[in-house]
Amino acid sequence: MDLVANLGLGFATAFSPINLALCFTGCLVGTLIGVLPGVGPIATIAMLMPLTFKVDPTGALIMLAGIYYGAQYGGSTTAILINIPGEATSVVTALDGHEMAKRGQAGVALGTAAIASFLAGTVATLVIAAIGAPLTKLALLFGPAEYFGLMLLGLTLAVVLARGSVLKAIIMIVFGVLLATVGTDLETGEDRLTLGLDSLSDGIDFAVLAMGVFGIAEVMRNLDAPETRDVVRASIGRLLPSWADLRRCAGPMLRGTGLGAALGILPGNGAVLAPFASYTLEKKLADDPRRFGKGAIEGVAGPEAANNAGAQTAFIPLLTLGIPPNAVMALMVGAMTIHGVIPGPQVMTKNPSLFWGMIASMWIGNLMLLVINLPLVGLWVRLLRVPYRLMFPAILLFCCIGIYSINNNPADVFFTAFFGFVGYALIKFGLEPAPMLLGFVLGRLLEEKMRQALVLSRGSLMTFVERPVSAGLLLAAAVILVIALLPAVRRGREDAFQE
Amino acid sequence: MTEASAPPAEPTPPWLRQDTAAGLVVIAVAAFALWQGAALTAGSLGAIGAGMLPRALAILFGGLGLVLLVTAMTTDGERLQRWSLRGPIMILAAVITFGLSVRPVGLAVAGPLTVIVGAAASPETRWSETLIFSVVMTTFCVLLFKFALGLAIPLAPWLVGY
Repeated sequence: MDLVANLGLGFATAFSPINLALCFTGCLVGTLIGVLPGVGPIATIAMLMPLTFKVDPTGALIMLAGIYYGAQYGGSTTAILINIPGEATSVVTALDGHEMAKRGQAGVALGTAAIASFLAGTVATLVIAAIGAPLTKLALLFGPAEYFGLMLLGLTLAVVLARGSVLKAIIMIVFGVLLATVGTDLETGEDRLTLGLDSLSDGIDFAVLAMGVFGIAEVMRNLDAPETRDVVRASIGRLLPSWADLRRCAGPMLRGTGLGAALGILPGNGAVLAPFASYTLEKKLADDPRRFGKGAIEGVAGPEAANNAGAQTAFIPLLTLGIPPNAVMALMVGAMTIHGVIPGPQVMTKNPSLFWGMIASMWIGNLMLLVINLPLVGLWVRLLRVPYRLMFPAILLFCCIGIYSINNNPADVFFTAFFGFVGYALIKFGLEPAPMLLGFVLGRLLEEKMRQALVLSRGSLMTFVERPVSAGLLLAAAVILVIALLPAVRRGREDAFQE
Repeated sequence: MTEASAPPAEPTPPWLRQDTAAGLVVIAVAAFALWQGAALTAGSLGAIGAGMLPRALAILFGGLGLVLLVTAMTTDGERLQRWSLRGPIMILAAVITFGLSVRPVGLAVAGPLTVIVGAAASPETRWSETLIFSVVMTTFCVLLFKFALGLAIPLAPWLVGY
């Protein structure tokens, strides 16, 4: 069977000592930075990207993937121990996880989270391996018009999945696409909206933008709020959940994995929705829903599984279609490009050991997280007791070194400061930066594909509706947008995010 | 977050609402983009020029901003949050300090400077502690980024020549 042979190749690549070491280091430092409160996976990856520069492309991607899982797991740890979720997807974990921690069950909550993540990671790895190849074949049939339709669908989904007002989410996406047009025009070579600055003629660097709005701005926002970190004082307790706990969690974990894996594949950051969906589902299915929010172990197991499965299947649109579905995957594009790998359907055929090695390393990374994190819980707790007045200057310094090292260019550091201010302003205006990042990520690709499609059709916009696949995708996007704007659905959507 | 979304007892005056300000800023940014892109040629659908997309997006952006502004003026909403000055200004100053100093004096000096300037952002900072911490953090970063990873970041050009 192809799948077995491919996974065999992958594991052979990933199990080389150097790649194992890279995967291990990635998981460890990813968790270390990801544990810091207010530092989510995006800022973590942007900060740690320079660590991978001296490594060969396969090793670098394995390490980056490790950093990503580490950061995800670190975020859950922070959510459980101090109730500060590093990013949207660990908000749900904080609900019941932190309650468990307050009751002296922090260890069990962390252990359950780790086991759920591992299970979800294992299933998600198989899902990627199984549908990666067929989807890649499908992707080769896509022309520019179809890509354009798919990306528009992704952006529409992102609007629906964003928190807060639909109008504001659309505004932020358009802003992102507008920012993406800054720089040299793809075809004519003219400078666009560069304000006459040389450093802008290559466009705005994605890592700079992401680090500004998710790293620097986050520090500013945290300083605004007085320090209210309640690091769990109760003992951590034992780490491994009891047999009865595990039996109770098995269902939620499996359902969460399924939800996460399915939503993560969607091109518009569906993974964000997965933990919320899983939490709501488990609450509905529970014998006694009142336990939720008061330390129900199912409320940790389900969403954590969903979160991790979604985080991993989000690689599918990137690896098969070359379309990053969220900001983290966009950073992966950046990192891959630095190493001369252009994400897309060609990667699998041209560079099979890289493709399958990375997939195999995903599973190894999840296993390592389970092995290294449980014994290190004590260390993370001690790290979290460091007061923010010391932590934030350190975070700042890491951000600066990370950004400078990407291009060895001080101008990048200045732009990061600028976007940090922009990010702070956006927070104050109640505008979510996440959709902007997605708009920015897809913007350049969207423009490229649209222009290619129009050149092929000699300027006729009809090309987007005459081709059946493209028309179907655009229709789906339109329907989703209309549904999202219906008053009844709007209210339901607000309720879903209120949980 | 939950308290903020509860309806305020008294309606917020329209010009103090968060969305009013957001709408105005969006329109201003759109106008700026239109002005900056004014010289670019739009071309036609068959041969799209450099200016078509920036212009179309700016118009769309500004239009949406206008919708936001009008909605905010006509329906009650959240009040604009208070902006703090010290935190953001010192954080920005720290990052800019790093950018200005890393090339000429290297990480050995830029590191402590960044930590110290940044620490001024918080009223809780204890200076003696911060001074020691800045040296410790810089040493750690030098060992990690410069020696363990071999990044090209300057260390102390005035002292060791790189």
